[in-house]
Amino acid sequence: MADTDTILQVEHLNKSFGSKKVLQDVSFTVQRGHIVGLVGPNGAGKSTIMKAILGLFNYSSGHISIDGEAVSPTSHKAMDKVGALIEYPGIYPFLTGYQHLKLFSKDGTPKAQIMDIVDKMKMGGYINRKAKTYSLGMKQKLGIALALVNRPDLVILDEPMNGLDPQANKDLRTIILDLAKQGTTFLISSHILSELEKLVDDLVVIDKGQIVYQESMAALENGSAKLLILKTSNDSKAKDILTQNGYELSQSDQVAVVEKADTKMPDIIKLLSASDIDIDDVQHVHSDLETSLLKLLQNDKVKES
Amino acid sequence: MITLIKEESFKLLHKRSTPAITIILLVLMTAFGVLAKSYPKFYSPRTLFVQSFTGDSWVVLFMIAACSSIIAMEFQYGTIKEVLYRKYYRGQILVSKWLTMLIYSIYLFALVFVYSLILKFVLFNNTFDLGRKYGAEHSVFTSFSYTLIGDFVGLWLILSLVLLLANIFKSSAAAISVGIIGYFALGVIAGLMTLAIQKWNWLKWNPLNMMNLSGQMNTPSMSKVTMLSTPELAWGSLAYTAIFLAISYVVFKRRSV
Ligand SMILES: Nc1ncnc2c1ncn2[C@@H]1O[C@H](COP(=O)(O)OP(=O)(O)OP(=O)(O)O)[C@@H](O)[C@H]1O
Ligand SMILES: [Mg+2]
Repeated sequence: MADTDTILQVEHLNKSFGSKKVLQDVSFTVQRGHIVGLVGPNGAGKSTIMKAILGLFNYSSGHISIDGEAVSPTSHKAMDKVGALIEYPGIYPFLTGYQHLKLFSKDGTPKAQIMDIVDKMKMGGYINRKAKTYSLGMKQKLGIALALVNRPDLVILDEPMNGLDPQANKDLRTIILDLAKQGTTFLISSHILSELEKLVDDLVVIDKGQIVYQESMAALENGSAKLLILKTSNDSKAKDILTQNGYELSQSDQVAVVEKADTKMPDIIKLLSASDIDIDDVQHVHSDLETSLLKLLQNDKVKES
Repeated sequence: MITLIKEESFKLLHKRSTPAITIILLVLMTAFGVLAKSYPKFYSPRTLFVQSFTGDSWVVLFMIAACSSIIAMEFQYGTIKEVLYRKYYRGQILVSKWLTMLIYSIYLFALVFVYSLILKFVLFNNTFDLGRKYGAEHSVFTSFSYTLIGDFVGLWLILSLVLLLANIFKSSAAAISVGIIGYFALGVIAGLMTLAIQKWNWLKWNPLNMMNLSGQMNTPSMSKVTMLSTPELAWGSLAYTAIFLAISYVVFKRRSV
């Protein structure tokens, strides 16, 4: 069933903590080489899904496979191809950053491969210091480096931008995009949607333990309205004229024309100048991931159970 | 599996407490040796030697701390996720931790054995003879060796319980407390236990009674108190150790991280 381009497949996953259903019939697939964003409100079940994929706990029913191999707490063979950072990085205070990377890298990993990720994450300055002296962001970078050091095929990152400064954020983005180009697959959860937006190819949205949306990023963008916001010398008159001429206006104080395929700026300018209205400024507004997502979550029909 | 044991040893060796413990152990043993040299009337050199200059008692305390932390630290530092999500089976990870502790305990006992002999020859070369009779049955050297062997088996009975508790509570404090209290409780309630065993015979199979193994190896007449033969005590200890480890294994395999 799994076609060759699917690296991760989650089917009908159910999970409860006691009587509380945390995941309900969760199914989705991740294509090789894609960067997939997993988003949803706090407590939606993002970390829980990731832990299940990593075989960290039992689930009541469902099936998970990585590269065609089944994964469960008792079957971990496929984990050889996976790197992960879940929730917060686990760090031994008595080891240095380098010793962590050495400890968790596969046998016989050359030093150059370890130093490569250290350089990319710009951790050289403190990699030989004991981890108990690290700041929050330094620990986070070490956690990301640990997820990447074995050059896995599938990387699972839970809120990787936590505590990173703007430069580190940008570095991380570059690293992820580079690796994805070389064929590495990423499953990333984050609440910093403006960052995520710059990365992901596909989006999986989860709310209260259920998948509410799974599409490519492009599809989400196409689905949302693009607007032309005009500042004119007479806004109310401009609105009237535009409506009379068949343009659709968005509910707003400003003159906001809903952009369609045949909407042409010169037509609008001609139309308005014919009525002696001056156009002072034009803005293309394109609803961002945050807006689309909030709308999506508001309208979804999932019930708490 | 070898890789996993190497990993655990790497972590163990890089803790600051690990080299410190070897040094503290040698310092303490030397201190008791010097005491016995200076005050032979209060500290009999022969008795102290048989008790490995208190070395094996300290090893019990150090091993309880080491065993509780080798499990509990992974939960405390959150490293359990990194340790578990790899290709290895969970059982392998747990067993590698046990084996690392077994190697560590053998190292410490060997250290105590060798250093006791060094102290004997340096401080008490002419004071007593290793071949002389000590107590009812055995020579000084045999008594010394039996004490170490008996204590080693008894140690692992305690450690298996500590490993189990650390696994259940995910906290080293709880496991260390129970381990140390259990170890000292034996001395306190020994009298009480003897009475209870006389009254309810089946109580002789309780784990605390098994801790008398090294005493009975040196003083076979103790079997009147323990109501068990020495081999029964030895097998009983091993059986309890196996049971506690088996429960740990099941708990660890089922744990959600
Ligand atoms: N060990 C646990 N025992 C009981 N309930 C749990 C446990 N872990 C998680 N939960 C519950 O499972 C649900 C999903 O939690 P999860 O950590 O997956 O959310 P999340 O989507 O990662 O949220 P966040 O954005 O805050 O990280 C929550 O309702 C949480 O209360
Ligand atoms: Mg989470």
